[in-house]
Formats: sequence, structure tokens, C-alpha cells
Amino acid sequence: MRSDINKPVWLGACAAGIAVCAALNQGVLHPLWVRNYAPKNLSVSSGLAPDQMLLALAGFREMVASILWVRADTYFDQGNYDAVLPIIRMVTWLDPKQIDVYSTGMWHIGYNFTDEQSRSDRRYLPSALALGAEGAKNNSETYEMYFETGWMWFHKINDQYDNAVTWFEKASEKSDIPPARRNMLSSAYQRAGQLDKALKLYYDQLNKAEISMKEQLDQVTAFTARQQRDTVEKNLDVFLVRMSQRGNFNADGTATELFDTQPPFDVGFSAEVSVIDAAVLRVRATWNVRPVGTRIRVILRDADYPNGTDAGMDFGASDSVNLDPPKNLTFMQDELFIRNRRADKKMDMSRDPTMYTFSKDKYYLDFYYNPRSAPPHIQDRFGFLGEGMTDKNYLNTTARNGERVIFHRMELTRDMLKREGEWIDKMPILRTPNFIEGSSTRTGEEELIKVPGLLNK
Amino acid sequence: MRAIFNIARTTFGEAVRRKIILIILILGLAFIIITPGLGILSPRSERAAVTSLTLGLIQMTSALLAITLTIYLVPNEIDRRTIYTILCKPVRRYQFIWGKYLGAVATIGLMLLMMTLVLLAVFAFQFNDRGFNAAEAAELAKAPLMFFFQMSLLAAVAMFFSVWTSPIVNFFLTSGTYIAGTVFNGVFETLKESRSTSPILRALSEAVQAILPNFGRFQVQNAAVNPGQVIQSEAVYFGTAIGYALLYIVVMISLASVLFENREV
Amino acid sequence: MGAAIEIIDLVKTYKTRNNKVNVVDHINLEVNEGEIFGFLGPNGAGKTTTIKILLGIIYQNSGIARVLGKEVGDMQIHREIAYLPEKPYYYEHMTGIEILQFYASLFGNIPKEKCQQLLERVNLANDSTKTISQYSKGMQQRIGLASSLLNDPRLLFLDEPTAGLDPIAHIEIRDLILGFRDEGKTVFISSHELSDVERICDRVAIINKGKIEMQGRLEDLLRGGRYEITASGVPEELGRKVEGKDWIVSFAQDRLIVDMPDSDSPNELMQSIIAAKGSILSVIPRRKRLEDLFVETVRNKEVSK
Repeated sequence: MRSDINKPVWLGACAAGIAVCAALNQGVLHPLWVRNYAPKNLSVSSGLAPDQMLLALAGFREMVASILWVRADTYFDQGNYDAVLPIIRMVTWLDPKQIDVYSTGMWHIGYNFTDEQSRSDRRYLPSALALGAEGAKNNSETYEMYFETGWMWFHKINDQYDNAVTWFEKASEKSDIPPARRNMLSSAYQRAGQLDKALKLYYDQLNKAEISMKEQLDQVTAFTARQQRDTVEKNLDVFLVRMSQRGNFNADGTATELFDTQPPFDVGFSAEVSVIDAAVLRVRATWNVRPVGTRIRVILRDADYPNGTDAGMDFGASDSVNLDPPKNLTFMQDELFIRNRRADKKMDMSRDPTMYTFSKDKYYLDFYYNPRSAPPHIQDRFGFLGEGMTDKNYLNTTARNGERVIFHRMELTRDMLKREGEWIDKMPILRTPNFIEGSSTRTGEEELIKVPGLLNK
Repeated sequence: MRAIFNIARTTFGEAVRRKIILIILILGLAFIIITPGLGILSPRSERAAVTSLTLGLIQMTSALLAITLTIYLVPNEIDRRTIYTILCKPVRRYQFIWGKYLGAVATIGLMLLMMTLVLLAVFAFQFNDRGFNAAEAAELAKAPLMFFFQMSLLAAVAMFFSVWTSPIVNFFLTSGTYIAGTVFNGVFETLKESRSTSPILRALSEAVQAILPNFGRFQVQNAAVNPGQVIQSEAVYFGTAIGYALLYIVVMISLASVLFENREV
Repeated sequence: MGAAIEIIDLVKTYKTRNNKVNVVDHINLEVNEGEIFGFLGPNGAGKTTTIKILLGIIYQNSGIARVLGKEVGDMQIHREIAYLPEKPYYYEHMTGIEILQFYASLFGNIPKEKCQQLLERVNLANDSTKTISQYSKGMQQRIGLASSLLNDPRLLFLDEPTAGLDPIAHIEIRDLILGFRDEGKTVFISSHELSDVERICDRVAIINKGKIEMQGRLEDLLRGGRYEITASGVPEELGRKVEGKDWIVSFAQDRLIVDMPDSDSPNELMQSIIAAKGSILSVIPRRKRLEDLFVETVRNKEVSK
């Protein structure tokens, strides 16, 4: 006789068991697994070869990532920078914990793509920053990627310092940040004009360094602690002197009549742009400041560049890592170095047609100067926030949210830049109204920036 | 219970002597031992890559062992007619199935234990000067522990298929179920969560994930590969995952027993 | 004593691609307790299928099958029966004693000493610690028999117990089986070794193409032997006179050989030979053989088909 087990009852019980399992899986296991154990970025497409994908999916992600990164080394050596880009994306997808790849990738994208005149391709910067942000999100337990992203804002973009502050602050909150690296936050505070915070941090760092030194440590750590103490002490001293020189401790904002940042110094900016050949500009400028150290930023971009701003773009607007920016965009950034109160520079974009496609009709040429990035000897006159600087024609407080900057925009057309159409035989020349050809019209020592203690008694 | 235990013991004794099982085990152990010697990995992430690779190898090897071992358990007994000598004794069919299954699980457990011990030895040798201590060994051993439950569940699936399919068909069915529950788990999750997935595909993904055992839940090696992360509610997770495995195993073996009850051998 | 096995109108059907085949086709069978019963048939006749149904390994489509008074499938039966399959396979890594201990454990209530006693009974006590892989075919068969006796069964199913054995092993197994009957056990043997069946079985049944062609006591089935009478110096006309009546007469040189059924008395013929001044050289009674019966039964079936 056949078995007398009650089949429907058993099958029903098994179905109920599976339902309980499904509920356990969805209700308890899934959220905890995703939080604790899931590899990140499961849904990002990667461009891996099928065998690599299979290995990756089968649980060998980190191994495949390592092998790919070693291969990237070869491409670096060969100078094949384009080939490194997809590897960066693949490796960070496979192994989001490989911090090295994020930081190297950021550096590579941000610094290594240049034109014939060594100007960086700034179109990659949003992707570099997005990569940094992604790396920080995936490695939130360590300071490293926060620091790297802050550094990119501070050093590469060298503007909009609030962003550098934000990232350095996040890095500073992590327990593994070396004290020396936290010092960068003070520098960022200074550039951002948050002087109280810079000062407070210096004192905080000094206290911490003193405490470290007093602990019974091994030789190496003791040396590092002493070095940190000395560095912070020096930086603090310099900072205090500067604050004093720039009038920050006086109620009326003055220091002395010799070191005052008041009244504001008129820099007398003027400029002339000539399109001397297709995609070749001659840029001339005047600037009243005699001591060297002034660099005026020149930006040429599509008028409708995505996220374009005055004198630049919103580099942090996008969080997608696009390693292949649209080739039809144009963004050039260069600098005018002022010598003897003048600058005269040829900006040749003709040798990089892929980088400067000039495929749009309208362009902006922006001139921009931010005193927050001025060298100390100039800041001694201009102040930390540019309160000692002015220009009767081109002082601007809207381009950077209330900050005092020098800003002027010229508009060009494609035809002008390519010397086509009506401009085939005619050279486009744009000038500020105050531009005067030839020698400087300003003389007089009263307009010099006086260096205290050297020329004047 | 005695019958189940004794059938399990006999199954274990036979299984550990099967040449194919020993070959797979030896190959797995060999790969684990040579992994640290792969000098192509960058120094900074050597530990992470070695951890990932060795744990991945253990998982793959034990999966292959579990499938190879279990797909032949019942068919071999029928082919050799040893099953007759057992079923003509006062042994119920479900006792036979449970006994064979538990014997397979004991074998898998032994193999995993051996691989784990070799893994720990390799790590102690390779990373002793870089702070590999007992606490880290315990952390590392959590992954193979979960693999054991994962493979026990896999063996239960293979057992279920073995009572009504041939070994070759069983191999592909069980492997497919395992791949769906691990490698393609992420794909199903993406399909479920993506807004652009069609309703039919979403429903299919939900159904597949609900019915098929989710082997991916036992892949906890990420914590060992990337130490220093804060793991939330670890005890709850482990307890629930083990409970999930045990319940699913009971379901699978019960289904196998029900099907086997009326099977003519 | 009651019936050890009772089969009433048993049917087992298998479906092939195009039709259904009754592998066991309405068979009726009864085996009494305490006898050795031979179950014979050509390959594919349905012997193994019938045995598997009785063991509860497969299930009949219709009909009744009872073992020791209970319906097949009753777990209690399994405590009282034993089965030795054709070409048994045992776990090769186990020793003889371990095999017995394993099977004993499945019953749960068998004392350990019994395993050793059984090994002695089947003359394997000196080989108990060897693994099965080291056993010869005869030894494996004996270990199988030993394992069959663990639970002191009332009924044993033996499928080809002597197949492939050398003559000495053959005899040993046969003697063991005879010993079972002496102990009051019922033995159900399926075998192609007709000489063995003829020697040891009390009753037999012949199954062919799913049907029982005949069953009964051997002596009844094998009734109908013949006499062979050889004489010399007999004139040819006598030879011609005695032809017919299902007698086979042959004349070679001066010898007359007459093959006659034992239902006819040879006395009249012998008197005729003496009267004809011939010499009777031999009178040999030849009993009907099981082999003849088997062949006859199977061939008749084919012819009638």
C-alpha cells in the first residue's frame, strides 16, 4: 500500500515554511545585509569583460580590482592616460574600499589632462570632485577621501574656499586624521575669511600638540609630536602677526598708518583682448600693484556651459562621475602674471582642437581676481577679505556671494574666435574702456605698496 | 533517530573516501595556500585582496563539494541497490533521506573546517608581523561559519532535486539555484528597485527572490575584507540567518521526503 | 501454519511511450510458512517486480498483497522479514562486522554479540575485520545472508542467492538455506539455478510475461517421468511392434532402446523381449526435470501466442 502520509498537509506546511523564510529574508536579513555586508554600487555598469564580471560577481571583486589597478600602472608608465580612466571607474566600482584608487583617480582626472601649453582640462574637474565625494561616502570611516576632496577645492580650483572648508572640516572630524593634516583646515579658514575659526583651531592644535608631547611615547611619535607643536606654533605666530598687520585687532579696523589696509587700494584693472589668429588670443592687462605676485585668472567658456558661473563653473554641482565629458564643450582657464604693472600673454588654443572645439556660437571671456588667494605680502595690504583692495570700474561683490573680487566679462562670438565670417580679415579687439596702450600713466610712490621697515622709516 | 544517525554516519564514512571529493578539497586547499604568493597585488591592499580571494575560494570549493557530494547520494543508493537493504528494514523513507542528508552535511562541515584551519594558518604565517591575532582570526572565521550554513542549505536543495531528477539534471538545477541566489541576487535587487523595470519583470524578481533560497545572505566576508566597519546588530543578523537556513533546510528535506515517499525505487 | 505470502489478483502496470504494459498481470500466489518457495521465470517475467511489491519498495496498481498476514507497507512487517538482493553492494569502506553492526542498528534492539555469532555461522569470523572490498563474491554473499539473519526473520527473500558462486560456495549457501527451513523460517527464492531450486524447494511457481503459468509442489509438477529400456538380441519386427503410444524407439546395430512414459508399465515390454530371446541390458527410470518443465512451460506460452 502506498504511504499514508497526508500529502496536502505536508505540502501546505512546506509552503508556509517558505513564506516564513521569505518574510525573514525581506524583513530582517535584507536591510541588515545591505547595511553591513553588501558590496557597494551593485547597479553601476562597469564595462568589465565577461570573465572579469563573472569573477567579480562570484565574490572575487577585490582580486579583480587589484589586478586591474596593476594594469593601470602600466598605462600610466606608457602615458596612455585615457586608458586609465575606465579602469579607475571599474576598480572603484568593484572595490569601493580601495582608497588609493579614488585618490589617485582624482589626481589623475584633475591634473593630468592638459593642453599643449600645460593648461588643465577643467571639464574633468566636476568628475574628479564627484569621484572624491563617492570615495568619501564609501569610506566614511576614514579622513582620507574627505581630505583629498578638500585639497582639490583648495589647491586645484583655488577658489570658492567655503567648499574646501566644508571638506576639511569633515576630514577633521575623523579620528584617524594626522594632526599635521588638520592644520590645512586653518589655511582653508584663512582663505575663506573665517579668521576666528582659523585662530581657534590653531590654539586647539597647539594644545593637542603640547599634550601629545607630554605623553610617554616612543621616539618616532615623540619627534612627530614635537614637530607638529613647532609647526603650529610658527603658523600661529605668523597668523597673529598678519592679523595684527591687517588691522583685525583694532576696533576701528586699522593697524597703524604704515600697515593699514585702509583706505582700499585701487588696483586699476584694465584689459585688452585681440584674436590674433584662429583660437589664438593676445591678452594684455594693467594692474597698479608693483610687487610681483598677482595672477589674474582668465576664463574662456561657452556662454551656455552647464553650471557655468561668473569666472568659472559650479564644480560641485553634479555627483556623477563622468569620465568622458562632452567633447562639444569649451572651457579654458589661464592666468596673467603681472610684472611691472602690466601683463601681455599669448593664449594659444589652436593646437588643441579636441579640447577647444568652439562648437557654440557665443562665448564669455572672464577676468577674475580674488584677493583671498593673494600671496601674504599683498594680502598685508589688501587684507584677508580684500577690504584693502578696490577698483573703481571692476570691483564686484556679486560674483562670489558678497566677497570683494575683481571681475569683468567680455563677450565673443565663434566667428571672432575662429576668425571666420566677417572676421576673416579683420582682427577682433575688445578692450575695457580704461585700457590705455603703452606705458603706465600712474607714477608716484604714494601708489606703491609699501613694505614696512624696508623703504620707510 | 537511531536509524537517521547511523545512516548519516555511514554516509559520512563513504563520502570522505570518495576520490572526487578529496580531489576537489585538495585543489581548494592548494589554492588557499598559494594565494598570498600572488605578487601581482598591490602592497597596500594585499591583506584585503588575499582575504577576499581566499574566502572566495573557500566558498567556491565548498559549493562544488556540496553539489558533487549530494547529487549522487540517493541515485547511487538506488543504482547499487543498497537502498533495498535499508528500506526493507524498519526504516521509514524520511529517515533514509534525513540520514543521507545529515551525513552529507557532516562531510561538508569537515571539509570546511579543514579549509578554515588552513586559511587561518596561512594568515598567521603571512600577516603575523602585521598584527594578525586571535581576535582577527575569530573575525575571519565568521565567514566560513556562514558558508557552512549556506552549503548545508545548498545540499538540501540538491537533495530535494535528487529524489526526482537524474544527477546531471540535478547538477544544473542546483547550480542554477545557487547562482540565482548569489551572483544574480544583486541583479534581482536592482530590477526590483529600479523604476524603469516593467511590472511583469518586477513581479518575477519578487517571486524568484521569495521562493528560491537566498544564498547571498550568508556572504558576510565583506566585513573581514574591509575591517574597521561598524557592523550593526551582528548577533541578530547571524541568529536570523542561521534560523532562516535551518527552516529552509527543514522545508527542503520535508519536500524531498514527501516526494520520495511515493517514489518507486 | 498460515500463509507467509498471499497475493490476490495483483497487477502492476508500467507506462511506455505508446502504451501500458502489465508487468505483473493478475497473479495469484500463496506461500506457506515454513516452506522454501521457488519463484522462477525468464528475464523480464516480473519476478523482481513482484518481490519489490512484497517488500513495499514499489506499489501495485491493484490487487492484494499480504506478507505474514499484514498488508505490504506495514512497517511491522519489516521487523520480521529479510531481503538479500541479486548482486548486493555493501559500503566498501566498512568491515564485515561493521556492516552487520550498521544493519543491526537499523533495527535498534539487536545485541552486539549477535553480529559475531552470525559471522561465525556463515564462516566469516576470521575475516570480520577485513573491509568489504577485500571480500570475494562468495564472502559478500555470506555477509549478505548474515545481515539477513540479524532480526531472526520469519520470512527471507533471496534473489539469486547462488549466482556467480563457485561450486563450494554454492553448496555452502544451499546448506544454509536448508538450515533456515529447519528453523521454521519461510524462504522465498527467485533463481535461475534450476538445479538448486529442484534440490531445495518445496513448492515453486513459474511466472512468464507477468502471469503465473503454474505453481505447486515440485513432486506434483515433476510427475511424469520416463523409463529407458535398453535390450540386445531383439528382432527388428519387435521393435516396430512396440512403436507408438508416446514411446520413442530406436534401433542401433542390434540394440533396441525404448523411451517410454512411466505411466506405462515396462513389464509387458520386458516380457516381450525375453520371449523374443533378447537380453535386457538396462532399465533406467528418468524423473522429469525442472528444467524441462520450465522450458516446456515457457515455450508453450510462446507457441500458443
